[in-house]
Amino acid sequence: MAAISLQQRQNLRMFLRILLQSLRIRKSRVLIAFCSILIGAAVVFALLSLYFDISIKMSRELRAYGANFFVGAAETGQPTLEADVYRRVLEQIPATRLVGASPYLYGVARLDLGNAVLAGVDFTGLRRLSPFWQVEGKWVAVDFDEEHCMIGRALARNMALKVGDQLRVFKRETGFNQSLTVRGIVETGQAEDDQIFVNLSLAQKILGQPGRINHAMLSILSRDFDTDALAARLKEQLPGVTAAPLRKVSYSEGKILEKIKGLMALVAVIILAATTFCVMTTLVAMVVERTREIALLKSLGAENRSIVRQFLIETGCISLAGIAGGMLVGFLLAQLLGQAVFGAAISFRIAVVPLTLTVSLVAALLAAIMPVRMALRIAPATVLKGE
Amino acid sequence: MFIRMLRQSFLRGRKRKALAVATIVISASLISALMTISINVGDKMSRELKSYGANINLLPKSESIPLEIGGIDYNPLRGQSFLAETDLPAIKEIFWRNNIAGFAPFLKTPVRLAGQRQPVQLIGTWFDRHQPVANEPDYRTGVRQINPFWEVVGDWPEDRAFGGVLLGSGLAAAAGLEVGDRIRIELGEAERQQSAELQVVGLLKTGGAEDQSIVAPLATVQQLTGLPGKIQAVSVSALTVPENALAKKARRNLDALNTEEYDRWYCTAYVSTIAHQVEEAIPNSAARPIWQVAAGEGAVMRKIQLLLLVVTVAAFIASSLGISSLMSTTIMERSGEIGLMKALGAADRAVYLLFLSEAAVVGIIGGLLGCVAGAGLAQLISLGIFRSTVPFAPVTLPVILFTSVLIALVGSLAPSRHITRLLPAEVLHGRN
Repeated sequence: MAAISLQQRQNLRMFLRILLQSLRIRKSRVLIAFCSILIGAAVVFALLSLYFDISIKMSRELRAYGANFFVGAAETGQPTLEADVYRRVLEQIPATRLVGASPYLYGVARLDLGNAVLAGVDFTGLRRLSPFWQVEGKWVAVDFDEEHCMIGRALARNMALKVGDQLRVFKRETGFNQSLTVRGIVETGQAEDDQIFVNLSLAQKILGQPGRINHAMLSILSRDFDTDALAARLKEQLPGVTAAPLRKVSYSEGKILEKIKGLMALVAVIILAATTFCVMTTLVAMVVERTREIALLKSLGAENRSIVRQFLIETGCISLAGIAGGMLVGFLLAQLLGQAVFGAAISFRIAVVPLTLTVSLVAALLAAIMPVRMALRIAPATVLKGE
Repeated sequence: MFIRMLRQSFLRGRKRKALAVATIVISASLISALMTISINVGDKMSRELKSYGANINLLPKSESIPLEIGGIDYNPLRGQSFLAETDLPAIKEIFWRNNIAGFAPFLKTPVRLAGQRQPVQLIGTWFDRHQPVANEPDYRTGVRQINPFWEVVGDWPEDRAFGGVLLGSGLAAAAGLEVGDRIRIELGEAERQQSAELQVVGLLKTGGAEDQSIVAPLATVQQLTGLPGKIQAVSVSALTVPENALAKKARRNLDALNTEEYDRWYCTAYVSTIAHQVEEAIPNSAARPIWQVAAGEGAVMRKIQLLLLVVTVAAFIASSLGISSLMSTTIMERSGEIGLMKALGAADRAVYLLFLSEAAVVGIIGGLLGCVAGAGLAQLISLGIFRSTVPFAPVTLPVILFTSVLIALVGSLAPSRHITRLLPAEVLHGRN
C-alpha cells in the first residue's frame, strides 16, 4: 500500500512539474490563450448582465408613451371623485414603480374669444407622465402657481395667443374672473391641443369643485407587476372607483419587450459561438506547436489518459484565470454599455457569475476537444524522426 | 520567388490556413449579420411599434374649438365641417405611400341608449375594409390594422352590413348587455328625434374612451345621421423615422427652410413630412402628428438602434482580439521556418512582407465568405424575431472586407517583435 501511495505521490509531483513548466516556459502562448478566454468571458458576462437588465431598462424607456393606467369614477360624467381617493390610489403603488401621475379635473370655461375646455392637473406629475408633450415656452413649474397656465396649440392659434400673453378666464357659475399668463403652448395632436391647463387647485376654484377630480392617469413600470391585479384591488378597496390598464399602451409594451429580449438573446448566443471558435483555434494552434513534446511524453510511456488529463487541467487553469479576469472586465464593459445606451448603471446580479463561469468553462472545454483528439493521434516515431 | 513562397505556404500549411480562414469567416459573418440587423432594425422595430396605434390625425380645417370631455362633445351646436370619404384613397398616393401602414375614418355622434339619460358616443369607422388603391387592388385597411390593441369578445362587425356593432365593455357591464343582444338607440334633438335598432356582435375593450361607446360600421352611422359619404376624422398609421433638428426646424416654420433643406425634409419619412403630404392630398384638411405615438416611437427607436450599435461594436472588438491572438499563435509556431529564412539571408522586412501578405490573403478570403454567411445569418435572426427578411445592405461588404484584412494584419503585426528577436541558430537547433 505504502509503495503504491509513494508511486502516486511521485506521479503527482511529476504531473505538477510538467504543468508548471509548461505554463512557465510557453509564457507568451499561455498569455494569448488566457487573453482570448478573458475576452470571451468578458463579453459573455457583459451581455448576460445587459440581457437581464434590458427588460427593466427598456420598460422605463417605453414610458415615453405616457400613461398606461387609468383611475376614474364608476359613474361617468360629473367630476365625482374625491381628490383624497387619488392620494389613496398612489399609496397602493410602490414609489419605485411609479414614473409619473396626475389627477385631471375638466370643465368648460369662458375665455376672451369663446368657450374652451379647462383642465386642472398636477404639472410636476404630468411632466413625468407625458414626456411626449411638445411644449413651446415653459412648463408651469410650481404646484401652487395660480397665475400661469398652458394652452393647446389649436386654441392658441384660434385665439391668437403667444407665450407670455395675458388671458382672461371667466366662469359665470362661480363668479371667477381673473387674468392668467400663458407660460407654454402645448402640442400633442390630440384633444389637449384645444384645451387650457392650470393647476388643479386653481381649476377647482374656477369650476367650483373643491376637492374633486374627474379621473387620474398613471404611468407605472409594468414589468413583473400585475396591473390587472392592481386594478381589481383598487376597485375592491375603494368603492365607486374604476381602474384599468390602458390597453393601447400596456398591450404594445409587452410585445415590444419580447422582441427586444429575443434580439438580445440571439445576439448573445451568436457572439458566444464566435468567441468559442476563437478560443478553439488558439488551443488547436497550441497543440500543433507541442507535437514534439507530446510525442516525447508518449515515447516515455505516458498513457493517453494522462495526456488528456494534463491538457484538460492546463486548459482548465488558463480558463479559470481567464474567466475570473473576464468577469471583472465584463462588469466594467456592462457599465460602459449601460451608460452609453441608457445613461444608467447596469446592476450587478450574482446569478450572472455562475452562469458566466459555466458557459465559459463549457465553451473552453468544448474548444479543447478537437486539440486533445489531435494530440492523441500523434504518432511518436514519425514526429520524433522529424517529419 | 515571393509569390512562390506565398503559394507554398498556403499549399503546405493548408489545414492551418483553413483554421485561420474559418475563424475570420465566423467573426466576419457575426459582424456583418449584426451590421445588417442594426441598419434595418429601425424599419423592423418601427413596424412593431405600430401596435401603439395611429400616429397622424387628419381633421377638417375648422376655426371652431371642440369642447370634448371624455369623448362627449359639450358643444353640439358648433358648425360641423366634414371630409369626403371618396377622397380617402388619395392617402395611398402620396410620395411616402409605401410608409402608410393603414388608415381608418371616423364619424361620431352622441346617442342615448333607450331608457338611459346619459348620452354615449356612437362611432362609425372601417373595421377591415377592402379599399382598392393605386398599385394595390387588394388593399385592406381599418381599425383592425391600425389599432391591434383593440380586444374584441365575440365577432368583429361586417363593414358592408347594416346594424351589427361593437359595444364598449364598460357600457355593456353598466347596462347588463351581452353579445347577441339587440339595443335600441335614440339620436337627434328633441323635435327631430329618431331611433334605430342595432345588434351587438361583439364587446370591445381598449381601456380608453371606446369602452363607454358604441362602435359601428361607417356606413351605418352615415345612414343614421343622414350624412352619406361624410367623415369627421381619419387616423393614419405611418412608418416614420425619428425626428431630428431638420424636422424640428420644419415644424416651427416650413418657410424658413431653403430649397435644399426642404427637399431633404420632403424626401425623409419624418412624421411631420407624412402629415404634410397627407394634408396636401386631402382637400380642406389639417393633419396633426399624434405626439404620444410619434415622439414615444422616436425615443424608443433611438434607444434600440443605439443598443444594437453598441453591441455590434463590442462584438467587433471581441472578435478582432480573438483573431489577433490566433494570428500571433500561427506566426509563433512557424519560428523554425523564420529561422531558416533568416539563416539564408532574408531581411526582417522580407519576413514581415511574407507574413503580412499571407494575413491579407487570409483576411480577404475570410471576409468574403463571412459576408455571405453573415447575410444568411441576418436572415435567420430577422425571420426568428421579426418574421420577415432583411434586405442586404451593400455597404457591409467593403466594411467587412476592409476590417477583416485589417484585423488579420494587426494580429500579425503584434508578434513582429518576437520575429525580429528570433536567433536563427537557436531556433534551428530546436529550442524556441
